[in-house]
Amino acid sequence: MSVVTEVSPDGQKLTISVRGRFDFGRHQEFRESYERLNRKPDSIVVDLKDATYLDSSALGMLLLLRDHAGGDDSDVRVINSNSDVRKILAISNFDKLFDIS
Amino acid sequence: MTEIHIDREALSVLREVMEDGYPELLDTFLADSESRLDELKKTVDATALSEVAHSFKGSASNMGAVRLAALCQELESEAKNKSPLDIARLVADISSEFADVRPIYEDERQHALTH
Amino acid sequence: MQAQEPLTILIAEDSAADRLLLSTIVRRQGHEVLTAANGAEALEVFRRQPPHLVLMDAMMPVMDGFEAARQIKALAGETLVPIIFLTSLTESEALARCLEAGGDDFLAKPYNQVILAAKIKAMDRLRRLQATVLQQRDLIAKHHDYLLNEQRVAKAVFDKVAHSGCLSAPNIRYLQSPYALFNGDLLLAAYTPAGDMHVLLGDFTGHGLPAAVGAMPLAEVFYGMTAKGYGLAETLREMNAKLKRILPVDMFCCATMLCLSFQRRTVEVWNGGMPDGYLHRIATGERLPLAARHLPLGVLSPQAFDDRTEVQAMAVGDRVFLLSDGVIDTTDADDRLFGVERLQQLFAANREPDNLFAEIEQALHAFRGEPRDDVSMVEISLLEATQVVPSTPVYSDSGQSCPLDWSVSFEFRGATLKRFNPLPYLLQLLQEVHGLRTQGGAIYSVLAELYSNALEHGVLGLDSSLKRDAAGFASYYQQRNARLEALQDGYVRVHLQVKPQGAGGCLVIRVEDSGKGFDVARVMERPLDGVRLSGRGVSLIRQLGHNASWSDEGRSACVEFFWEVKA
Repeated sequence: MSVVTEVSPDGQKLTISVRGRFDFGRHQEFRESYERLNRKPDSIVVDLKDATYLDSSALGMLLLLRDHAGGDDSDVRVINSNSDVRKILAISNFDKLFDIS
Repeated sequence: MTEIHIDREALSVLREVMEDGYPELLDTFLADSESRLDELKKTVDATALSEVAHSFKGSASNMGAVRLAALCQELESEAKNKSPLDIARLVADISSEFADVRPIYEDERQHALTH
Repeated sequence: MQAQEPLTILIAEDSAADRLLLSTIVRRQGHEVLTAANGAEALEVFRRQPPHLVLMDAMMPVMDGFEAARQIKALAGETLVPIIFLTSLTESEALARCLEAGGDDFLAKPYNQVILAAKIKAMDRLRRLQATVLQQRDLIAKHHDYLLNEQRVAKAVFDKVAHSGCLSAPNIRYLQSPYALFNGDLLLAAYTPAGDMHVLLGDFTGHGLPAAVGAMPLAEVFYGMTAKGYGLAETLREMNAKLKRILPVDMFCCATMLCLSFQRRTVEVWNGGMPDGYLHRIATGERLPLAARHLPLGVLSPQAFDDRTEVQAMAVGDRVFLLSDGVIDTTDADDRLFGVERLQQLFAANREPDNLFAEIEQALHAFRGEPRDDVSMVEISLLEATQVVPSTPVYSDSGQSCPLDWSVSFEFRGATLKRFNPLPYLLQLLQEVHGLRTQGGAIYSVLAELYSNALEHGVLGLDSSLKRDAAGFASYYQQRNARLEALQDGYVRVHLQVKPQGAGGCLVIRVEDSGKGFDVARVMERPLDGVRLSGRGVSLIRQLGHNASWSDEGRSACVEFFWEVKA
């Protein structure tokens, strides 16, 4: 399973962990991880600790997630990016849309 | 030692599979076998002998003639090595074995026609 | 257990009794039976009525089973016709020979019905699998052909949209695969009415038609607005808004857009999500990275879009180099990336700037072997302004009803000055006068110069001497943006007057600003000179227009244009 989700006990925070290659093949799994919840979480964390690679379709998926979570009113954090992933996020200036660490 | 000449089980399976075609099968087998025997008696070349013996072995085994099949197998594998005298003796054995089992098949044929 | 579908089975067996027995067994299992007594007959029957499956005796006269099997397999071609050998050879011997001849299985004598039925079932499963594979392969091939055709059509349409570009200008060198469009790569170039050059290197997300389809509306905006005289910021804003509106949320376009001005010797840059571009200064050898400071186009709403650009000074001969990430991402046989470091090494090793392009191309080829479809590079050099000759646009109206005696005044105040660029509208207005059309470029350049002087030096109070050197340049434009953001009051007035004169007419342009003015006499003393970075563009105005004059302590500028109608 390359996309694993975890919801906090109070249902307020959703953590989505992506393992391996974060590319077009993960599209369906990624969408399902946040679309099927009973209640919308207040904050979402995307954990890329085990993600080895990120491409433009992954960026697109992050945009979809942000849009679903309320667009400008959303609280989406991207954490544990390795240096390669960080570089890609930096060039595309995604730190202007997401909290990246 | 009693050697098995005919596998009765096999015959009953054949009877069951062939149904009305059983007599025809028996006739075909008997006719085929006779012509093969003739060939065996006439042939001298070891390779040719092996081939005929192989063929005979095949149908004999299908028809449940176990000892006949075994004898044919021996001829098939040993034709190259045996002397003409030994070959003649083996062919004679095959011929006599066939003569022994023939009545059984004819019996079967008779039985099938009347039942 | 699923019932076995009836098949047509060919039985090749020379022993009559065995053949009869086997036929009966197979018929009882529900199949149609064809028979042959030797290999040659088997081939004949096969040709006449190809069966689904063959039961073949190994030893047969005329042509043995193995040879017949080989020939049947050849006849069957791609289709799988399983062959089960009937044999009373010993196990291992049998298996080896059967497989060698292309057989798929074997059945020992005496025949066992149960085993036979099982083998027929298994072989039939394989046969159907092969048939499905071939069917799907053909379907895929057909769809692929449709797709290629769709792409061809889309490309033909797109080429019509993009045809008005100036990629063939003498100062542009580029590398792009003909089908780069379907990898999302886009390269556009066009002249502005003033003779400046707009260039855009873009990279849409995705592949195939979805990537290409966004390129068309983008190109229309790029060409349309550039031709009308809109600047980088407005064009980018419009392109972003368009893409945001029409593309799905997860699609966007990384892009670097440039405005190269030969007259002002500057390059204005906006980079949203593309790899670093490079400004190569020939005199110092410095390669300044032009990094991405913005999100790609189509992500932010029009309200949130950041259109701030950076301006760098250039000297004649300097080059700007842009590349798509296909270059960096090129991999070799061991999946190693070409990477930025290798590119930097090539830069460092390059001795002759004109060869850089070819050197990079060669290095990529040596690294990977075959070219990728999404490698796009472009190099734009700054030439002397006189070497650049944009073609004049063609108009379709007759001129019978053009306005020849009119005047108009505009006053642009405070907040409007921040976001609105009136130049394209003013130019469009003036294009209505046919006699002025051939001078469109010069008029636009002069208008732009007058307006920017009025705004920057007049209203914003910026000191043009800051633009003396490259560092001061950057600082000047930063200050410009900051002061413009903070602007509350102030105005720029533009008066246009057209009057008939003799066989032609005259256009008078007057631009006034609310600033402090400047020492007109001192500036007029300077010789007309086109080399220096700074200066109020006064030289340009005096060279391109007629009777240029300044009054009201420099707050008001006036210049004339004339035209004559040839008999």
